[in-house]
Amino acid sequence: MSRALKLFVVDTGPLITLAAAESLDYLLCVEVDVVIPDAVLYEAAHDASRLGAQEIMDWVKAHRAHVEIAPTKTYEIFDAARATIPNLREPELGERAAVEVIEEPGRLEGDERGLLLCEETTVLKRVVVRDRDRIVELSTLDFLTILEAERRIQSADQVFAAAARAGRSASRVRKVDGHDAATRAAIASLVKRRDGE
Amino acid sequence: MDDADRQALRDFSAGRMTALELRRRLNGATFGDVLILLGAEDLPLPRASTVGREARIERARAWMFPKNVARS
Repeated sequence: MSRALKLFVVDTGPLITLAAAESLDYLLCVEVDVVIPDAVLYEAAHDASRLGAQEIMDWVKAHRAHVEIAPTKTYEIFDAARATIPNLREPELGERAAVEVIEEPGRLEGDERGLLLCEETTVLKRVVVRDRDRIVELSTLDFLTILEAERRIQSADQVFAAAARAGRSASRVRKVDGHDAATRAAIASLVKRRDGE
Repeated sequence: MDDADRQALRDFSAGRMTALELRRRLNGATFGDVLILLGAEDLPLPRASTVGREARIERARAWMFPKNVARS
């Protein structure tokens, strides 16, 4: 995995919107390496009963060659704490991990450039983007609109409409968080795989 | 969900509140929960205005599709 353009998915919004619309593959319509911080993946997929969660985990596993789950200290500390406090909730876990990944020295080398895909400008306000010439932030809709302009997808609006439909039809009954441990183990194995390469 | 929560959902849908603020207000709801609540209230997903960001989006497009942009 070493393409010149990196797509950092810095919050759960884009993943869940695209998963709900069954359109996660659109992230791979471009020649990019997709980078997802481990805590963002955890927040999006830790409860398999949540909208889009299972689809996201399946998609990440199916596209490991071009999707990096970036390890962070933020998630490592949270995961370790969960051993003694199983019901621990960490507000803004994903956002803090994303900031850590974006600010990591050496993330972009040589001529590499980065797109930050997010719904939250609040995440970006916390980031000291060192090189504005090499990093651009985009919303999910911006990203889809570019794909539509390039005729890679039929319609950005259709994707948003499909996500909204999925929201309307999804069960509003919360199920028990029964898959958390399995998801944490899956994330750990995905991160280890990348480390081992 | 009370009236204040519904107003928060409407504010989010209209782009007046961020998802993070909304999720905090809804006791740590996930973005998936937000999609479901929007659906229940028949509200659309927010659409950020591109005004003032046109150059940035065009730059991203050029990075994503360099050959196509060079041709046009």
